[in-house]
Amino acid sequence: MMLPGWLAFDPRGPLRLGPREFPGRIWTASGCFGYGLDGADLVAPGYGSPFAGLGAVVTKTVTPEARPGNPPPRLWETAHGALNSIGLENVGLARFVDEIVPVLEARGVPFVASLAATRPGEFGDLARRLAAAAAGSAHWHGVELNLSCPNVAEGGVDFGRDPVMVERCVAAAREHLPERALLAKLTPNVGSIARLAAAAARGGADGVTAINTLIGMDVDLRTGLPVLPRRRGGYSGPALLPVALARVDEIVQETGLPVVGVGGITTLEDALKFFAVGAVAVQIGTAQMSDPFAAAAVAAGLAAAGDPETSAGQGRSSPSGQ
Amino acid sequence: MTMPAAAPPPSARRLRGTIAADVPVSSSMRRLELELEEAVPFQPGQFCMLNLTGDLALVFGRPFSLLAKTGQRLSLLYKVVGRGTARLRDAGVGAPVTCLVPLGRPFPAPDPRPRLLLAGGVGLPPLLAWAERWDRPQDLRCAGGRDGDDLPWGLLSPAWRVSLDRPGAVPAGRLAFGGNVVELARSLLPAGSPAHVVLACGPLPLLRAAAVLAAERGWDCSVSVEERMGCGYGVCRGCVVPRAQDGGYATACKDGPVFDARGLDWARFGEGSGV
Repeated sequence: MMLPGWLAFDPRGPLRLGPREFPGRIWTASGCFGYGLDGADLVAPGYGSPFAGLGAVVTKTVTPEARPGNPPPRLWETAHGALNSIGLENVGLARFVDEIVPVLEARGVPFVASLAATRPGEFGDLARRLAAAAAGSAHWHGVELNLSCPNVAEGGVDFGRDPVMVERCVAAAREHLPERALLAKLTPNVGSIARLAAAAARGGADGVTAINTLIGMDVDLRTGLPVLPRRRGGYSGPALLPVALARVDEIVQETGLPVVGVGGITTLEDALKFFAVGAVAVQIGTAQMSDPFAAAAVAAGLAAAGDPETSAGQGRSSPSGQ
Repeated sequence: MTMPAAAPPPSARRLRGTIAADVPVSSSMRRLELELEEAVPFQPGQFCMLNLTGDLALVFGRPFSLLAKTGQRLSLLYKVVGRGTARLRDAGVGAPVTCLVPLGRPFPAPDPRPRLLLAGGVGLPPLLAWAERWDRPQDLRCAGGRDGDDLPWGLLSPAWRVSLDRPGAVPAGRLAFGGNVVELARSLLPAGSPAHVVLACGPLPLLRAAAVLAAERGWDCSVSVEERMGCGYGVCRGCVVPRAQDGGYATACKDGPVFDARGLDWARFGEGSGV
């Protein structure tokens, strides 16, 4: 395909975000491609690997200590979407830096570490420990603060909805991450997401990721009970795309901040819609779960796309500045 | 004795293909054949994640145990139990599919000890594949169904003993035990019988009863679990089952679907799912 002439920048190129240059603008979303280790041995005719051409893998969210996660069932598919209640199951920061970061580094996988904590100071501690342990990592490009996972009662969505808390969390992490890109992943479960984005910028974020999952639920008609043990979960999948696009548009229009768009993206055409409203990069989430080559396919399609027929950037402005 | 660990499974491939055949084999079960762009080997107990290409209404693929392979053609059995399997049935011959295969840890390869195969419902394919692959006369094969119409008799050689939850007609020349499949096994192998290694696949109550039987006798037991899955390749952590050793969870798709029964926490297994 040919790239559309209305693009404000060439999305085939690298992305400068804060102090880092990412090798591409097609990423995988946190929680949807593990830590970037699983899937390395998968093969598909026509593709080198599931990691080919990716700008970054955003890892599964890591917390200060290991978490076992929520009891099953943890997933529930609805039409065009899915509910999840994984509960931030993860290995904890110590194992992440000891066992996972070195493998990602050795394999040359560009990655962004997703971090979650329950207090601003804890975000600072996580950032400090990660920065110390992975200081020499060439492929560690940044940190994405998970401020909006809706499943963890003691933190998650409550402080992620509060601009003051968002600013404090970002500032606490920023202090220890002068050489990595810092993103805040924002919840859409608020009236104004642009206020959260502005707060993240005040805290020193290089950009924001939007959106995290919507809060959703479903009911099992055999029992009349919620399908998820914790009643409500995070709703994701293709149904989210118009919602995510509107939220990205809101942030770009009201703040001009760099936005990494995520929500319902399955194809290159979907990704182009996010670029159209000003996203500087996109993440493939739920689609990556059903097809480990989903993001690689979008990246390959983008790389193979022909030049636009008209010159890029006419009549458009973009926070990417590129 | 602990079950020998299965060999690491071969790399899975993401393949495109079409539905080549979809025929009923019992009142509730259908045999689906996929013609894929490449031939892929699999071990009994492994599964595929099947997507109807381009059907965005189905966000996730569906896991199906593998029954047989002929060239580039893979066979599996399924029942229509929900939206995904209904759309699969309605898709029809020629519908394009995308398939991630083979996935998961298979049943352990045989050793001289006899096996007790316990299969229920759509738990049949991996054990049919196991019996076909190894074809060992010393193994005892047991299949359970709800009634006489529920079982795919055409796939069950006379070497298979059959149990039926409800009395019903069976094909001429075949006999059926009244009860569940573990009760059938207990009747065939009363206390004091020679040791068998149990291989079980089916609904959770079957697996639980198989694990109890094996524990009573001190036999090894491998169970293949059926869980709702998201990715099928280990990244989403959606299909977890409770692990015995540490109170945590293992993934059905990557750590399983075949587990040593002693490695699972049966007290926590199924809680919250209404099973």
